[in-house]
Amino acid sequence: MELTFYVASAIAILSTIMVITRYNMVHALIYLIISFLAIAIVLFVLGAPFIAALEVIIYAGAIVVLIIFVIMMLNLREETVQQERSWLTKDIFIFPAILSAILLAEVIYIITSGEQIMLDQPSIDSSAVGMSLYGPYVIGVELCGILLMSGIVGAYHLGRQKKKIVHRFLEHAEQ
Amino acid sequence: MSKTDFLNIVPLFILTSSAILIMFSISVKRNHKMIYVITALSLVADFIYIVQYNAKIKWVIEPLFVFDGFAVFNMGLILMTALAVTMISFAYFEQREERKEEYYILLILATLGACVLVISKHFISLFLGLEILSVSLYSMIAYLRRREKSDEAGLKYLIMAAFSSAFILFGMALVYAQCGSLEFNGIAKYLTGYTQIPILLLTGFGLMIVGIGFKLSLVPFHMWAADVYEGAPAPVTAFIATVSKGGVIVLLVRFFTLINGYQYQSLMLIFTAIAIASMFIGNFLALRQRNVKRILAYSSISHIGYVLVAFLAGGSMGVEAVSFYLVAYFITTVGAFGILSTLSDHDRDADHMEDYQGLLWKRPWTAAILSAMLLSLAGIPLTAGFIGKFYLIAAGVNTDRWLLVSMLALNSAIGLFYYIRIIAVMFERHEGEEERQDVLHPSVYIISGVTMGMLVALLLWVGVYPEWMMSVIRTYVHN
Repeated sequence: MELTFYVASAIAILSTIMVITRYNMVHALIYLIISFLAIAIVLFVLGAPFIAALEVIIYAGAIVVLIIFVIMMLNLREETVQQERSWLTKDIFIFPAILSAILLAEVIYIITSGEQIMLDQPSIDSSAVGMSLYGPYVIGVELCGILLMSGIVGAYHLGRQKKKIVHRFLEHAEQ
Repeated sequence: MSKTDFLNIVPLFILTSSAILIMFSISVKRNHKMIYVITALSLVADFIYIVQYNAKIKWVIEPLFVFDGFAVFNMGLILMTALAVTMISFAYFEQREERKEEYYILLILATLGACVLVISKHFISLFLGLEILSVSLYSMIAYLRRREKSDEAGLKYLIMAAFSSAFILFGMALVYAQCGSLEFNGIAKYLTGYTQIPILLLTGFGLMIVGIGFKLSLVPFHMWAADVYEGAPAPVTAFIATVSKGGVIVLLVRFFTLINGYQYQSLMLIFTAIAIASMFIGNFLALRQRNVKRILAYSSISHIGYVLVAFLAGGSMGVEAVSFYLVAYFITTVGAFGILSTLSDHDRDADHMEDYQGLLWKRPWTAAILSAMLLSLAGIPLTAGFIGKFYLIAAGVNTDRWLLVSMLALNSAIGLFYYIRIIAVMFERHEGEEERQDVLHPSVYIISGVTMGMLVALLLWVGVYPEWMMSVIRTYVHN
């Protein structure tokens, strides 16, 4: 069981290094997803299955998809299809595929072996998380709501479309 | 949650519900005046509620919050400062045609974040308070979208604040790994057995100091300050310089006294170095500026350095001195930026030296108020700034921090130069410029005038007759 922890964390570190050294954003995103999956396995092995699931659903699922949407919206031109084809060649996928295959093997091993988690503490399931969030930490949850509110109000104000001339030289170019 | 818990936490509820109320009233009809009144009234109501607290209160809401005299005093201070900022905001935003109503929601939420910081005794409430404060500030800084520099300032603050939050989180994780507790008390309990801080814990504290240092714009984490101060609208700049820094300082004092950081050589060395560097670099960079907002930005860096002198002195005297200096510094800074925003016209803020040329002859009252504020920042007798600085030095001498005290005295002398220079510019005669036309309703000017008058009155009152303020601080701080 301990080996799975070390392998998964090594993959997490390696793929995160790959994320910050890629020049191409789409390539970086592929490694980012692997990094999240590896962290999810680390969390699972440490005895936090609920947080591991959230890591996969929220980070690897929702947030990365959002980033991909943004990238797609930024280049909506004819040549983008061509560009995407050139980005996503087969050899780009080889290394991420190896990494995720290792992660998959770990997951299969964890499920089939039925071993307990590596730490002595009991594993924390979703009901325990919920009990503490809505028990002693309920004010914290409410403050998170306030945090989101301030973020949304700010984003609404700043995101409203309005023609804005960034520089006086562009003023002539636009006319 | 018991009934007493609920009654104690009402100040946070008042702020939250007024933010929601403003949101509803925007959805019905956008009315700047009404929203301004709601904001001001809710801050006043909150302050009145806070005043009702017993000064010797000691109520803990497990596990996140603690209400003690120190927290209550600073919460009141934060609310009053936010009220003053609201007062100067109205005239400033009224001249601008952009949508101005959301600003008040963000202002109230940022105040809420600072209040949460002041009462927190747990890393979670610390982090949430800090994030509420900075997320609201991101959009407040970039609020005036038409101005060239607002985007730059907002983005700079966004990136730096997000980065510093990451540092704080990593520091918290390391501290938790070592102590097994996220509560300040738990960390203090863990540390009692040690004469030296374990290396992992020291690393964690170091990472957290990076984040806290960013929020306080201490040297060497001060790079953002001048650009953000320059790009943000003047009332927002006043808010950053006062409320957002004050909340973090109060938190720092609480944490440091709880873990009794004074007995650890390493922590003291780090903070002493930061304090001295902040005083010197802040003042020297201010000497080289020609832009009033940037001068005030660098001077605020050195002022936080001065506050650290009393913070490092520690003891009850140190805490008193920090509180007193915060009061004096808040009054002065809000006053200075208030004048700056009344002088601003609808395209840009009055931040060039030329805007102040001959101000004494054109608008003598405004110039007199600004001079009083600048003299207080410089620490000239009869102003609150002088008593505050005196208090800091007394606290430093009390615990034999001679190095810090001598640096403080030296830096006050350096600082005098650039404050006096602004005053000198106001005295210069300046011919050939027509009088600015009043574009707003006269009552708006009366509101700003009354606010500024009250700030000056407070400044002189605290400066001439400080006993009252001192006794208030003593009753609240000593538990």
